[in-house]
Amino acid sequence: MNLTKPKYIRRVSTVVAVLLALPLQLGIFTGLYMWLSPFAMLNSLFLLKSMVWLNILGWSILLVSFFRNRWFCRYMCPVGLGCDSFSKWGKHSRAFVKKIPRLGRWLALLSLAAALTGIPFFILLDPLSVFNGFFAAFASDISLAVIVSFIGLPVLLIIHLFLPGIWCGKLCPLGGLFDELSTWRKWIAKTLLKKKNISTEQNVGRRMFIASGTGLLAGVFIPSLLHAERKQFFRPPASLRGNLFNTLCVRCGSCIKACPSDIIIHHSGKKNLTAWMTPEISFENKGYCLEDCNLCGTVCPTGSISPFTLNAKKKLFIGSINIRLEDCLLSDFKECDRCKSVCSYDAIQIVASQNIMMKPLADLNKCVGCGACAAVCPTETISMIPLKKTTSSEEVSQNTYEFF
Amino acid sequence: MKRRDFVTRIIVAGSALSMGVSCGRKIEGDQQETPAPLSEATEPQRTITEPAREIPVIAETDVLVIGGGPAGVAAAIAASRAGAETYLVERYNHLGGLWTGGLVLPLLSTHAVDKQKRRKQVIYGLGGEMAQRLFDMEMAIHEVNPIIDPEAGKYILDEMIVESGVKMLYHSWGVNAIMEGNTIKGVFIESKSGRQAVLAKVVIDCTGDGDVFHWAGDSYETMNYHIGLVHRLGNIDRIDKNKPGYKKMPLGQPTPIPSVNWVNMHGLNDQDGIDMQNLSQLQLQYRKEIWESVERIKKVPGHENVFLLDTASQMGVRMSRIVEGEYKLTLEDTMTFKQFDDVIGISGAWTSMLYKGNKVLAYERPLWQIPYRSLLPKKTENLLVAGRCFCFEQALVEDTRIIGTCLITGHGAGAAAAIAANDRVTVREIDRQKLRKTLEEQNVWFG
Repeated sequence: MNLTKPKYIRRVSTVVAVLLALPLQLGIFTGLYMWLSPFAMLNSLFLLKSMVWLNILGWSILLVSFFRNRWFCRYMCPVGLGCDSFSKWGKHSRAFVKKIPRLGRWLALLSLAAALTGIPFFILLDPLSVFNGFFAAFASDISLAVIVSFIGLPVLLIIHLFLPGIWCGKLCPLGGLFDELSTWRKWIAKTLLKKKNISTEQNVGRRMFIASGTGLLAGVFIPSLLHAERKQFFRPPASLRGNLFNTLCVRCGSCIKACPSDIIIHHSGKKNLTAWMTPEISFENKGYCLEDCNLCGTVCPTGSISPFTLNAKKKLFIGSINIRLEDCLLSDFKECDRCKSVCSYDAIQIVASQNIMMKPLADLNKCVGCGACAAVCPTETISMIPLKKTTSSEEVSQNTYEFF
Repeated sequence: MKRRDFVTRIIVAGSALSMGVSCGRKIEGDQQETPAPLSEATEPQRTITEPAREIPVIAETDVLVIGGGPAGVAAAIAASRAGAETYLVERYNHLGGLWTGGLVLPLLSTHAVDKQKRRKQVIYGLGGEMAQRLFDMEMAIHEVNPIIDPEAGKYILDEMIVESGVKMLYHSWGVNAIMEGNTIKGVFIESKSGRQAVLAKVVIDCTGDGDVFHWAGDSYETMNYHIGLVHRLGNIDRIDKNKPGYKKMPLGQPTPIPSVNWVNMHGLNDQDGIDMQNLSQLQLQYRKEIWESVERIKKVPGHENVFLLDTASQMGVRMSRIVEGEYKLTLEDTMTFKQFDDVIGISGAWTSMLYKGNKVLAYERPLWQIPYRSLLPKKTENLLVAGRCFCFEQALVEDTRIIGTCLITGHGAGAAAAIAANDRVTVREIDRQKLRKTLEEQNVWFG
């Protein structure tokens, strides 16, 4: 096969992207491709106002794209490759598409501005997020949420059979971000270096003004509309609380792939519609959150799950414990101390309940809800319950994040 | 246009200022608190020097077993059957220790799962023989993890000791090791007859608390754990369930005698089993609580005839000293079918565990081998350790402290001691092939 160089690079990077997107246990490399998206990175940065060292990947893409517009789209983006191929096969005219305004840069600006004040809007339209969403479906049981996530990429590709080039050129917020950057570069060159001969689009200022203004206002007002009480479920440790999580999470499934005990699953959206496909911890199959694991926080590209140290697990609460003494072996004078012996947080003591009768007693200040005791319990005595307290997004900065 | 540009710049600048981006959002834990130094063990203020005295040597033997619990009985019988002259010293008036007098009636972990995932009996040898005798007498119930009758247990253990020709002494405590350098030469014992000495080629420490290796100066770790006191209830078959106001009460588990239940007590955690002050305190407290508990049961309609049959003759110390041996058996060994060249027996499991993040149910747990090296203390020569104080990591405590495992380690130690005495070598140097052969001849199962 005679492959020209760009095509060759694109195919290699697509294969790598597919490999990293598949639900394989690759430890820290899980979901590495998602880290390359500067759009997701900037949204997370604007919202959380903090960075981690893996963001270097996003920054380097941003830097390269600043000087070489759409370099990422051309060589690395797996969605870009797919869209281009389908556009060619479709053999439709581009005349109609050319009339469509470039919405991508509007989406990008709006989203980033809204992220600054509280809610990243279009982070789910990130092409890598769409790409990962497709593969995330392979790790889950079929549900409506999975199907919604799954059809994103195929629908996008099929559209390209009829409307060639519509995504990359017109809609993609990541592409839009790159375009915007390049416009800025030209503007900088023009204003600072006084190079009069470079033409810039006239509407830089207007777009900035309208998009960012709308975004900022939306970021302030929309979160208050989303604050309905919903059924609680378990989140991975160090997760953002409430709707902030749902808006920032790109549903890439990295945490689900990384989790060594397979307790993180895609949320079906039944308990909370806005949380569809976000990670949820399920204690159903008798796994628990390992005391010596912090992979979900490490691999999360957006910071929905913050990176945390193993030492910090002691205060990162997942859920709480519920003990039904009537089923406990100790209530029947049988020998058992499994819950106490497996607790890594020293939260369970076996104490006297009534003279010689013993019972397990949990210290709720120490119990982080890892589920080890519920997993090992020979009877159905111990179960985990979600944290009752709902934390609003204003409290997040105090509770979940520590700024250094 | 000017004004809009101005506003835009204000927005951009304001946003940039409000960002205050910080690098690193990792959530750190608290600094590890340095544990407060443990207070020094309180030594008695006043001491007194005991005058040196001549101690009569009441016996010179090949193998001396200190402690007549499940491990000690198995060790003594195995050594005697392997052709060594054997002497057994027991502090109470019965054999079987916690199994019989201590009322810990279940012979736990007789079964485990093999590599083909079949659950099968793993405890044969002397443990199997004892169980079989009890079944023949109809003094054991349940095929898996049988529960025995304590008096029948005492009876058959006496019978087996006499049959195998072991010399033994009841009502006598081992009190000190007789050492020659690093080699143990015998043990001082104490009773109503006064202080006496028993000399032996090999000593087996079956004290449970590791008294002998403690005297011999070997290194060990101590583990504080739950201490309870088991009791039995009588007239269980005379409970009238049809009486108005009847309520189901927790009455423990059935025993081979239909009218009798045994009631386990988990007891308080973090208790020191070798601190007699503490043990006495617990004894007083538990006996009172058991009495009150039975009184409460009797007040419930239908339970009027229930009575407290007995409390155990000794406190249920689950764990105390653990010797530093030549090999430390780990939880991983027991979960992965680890093979040892010097295996002395195979034990089973009775409780569910978490292993590498997965729940392993009691009836899914693999059988596991015990190596001879785990019975060998690091320092002392000619001393073997059997019973709950042999060398293992603390995560394994639930599987090593139970009756079945004690029977296995006791059997292995007894056979090894006999070989060392017969071949005139130290226990460290014995022929491991010969040990395996001897154990196989004595019906120990090796999978």
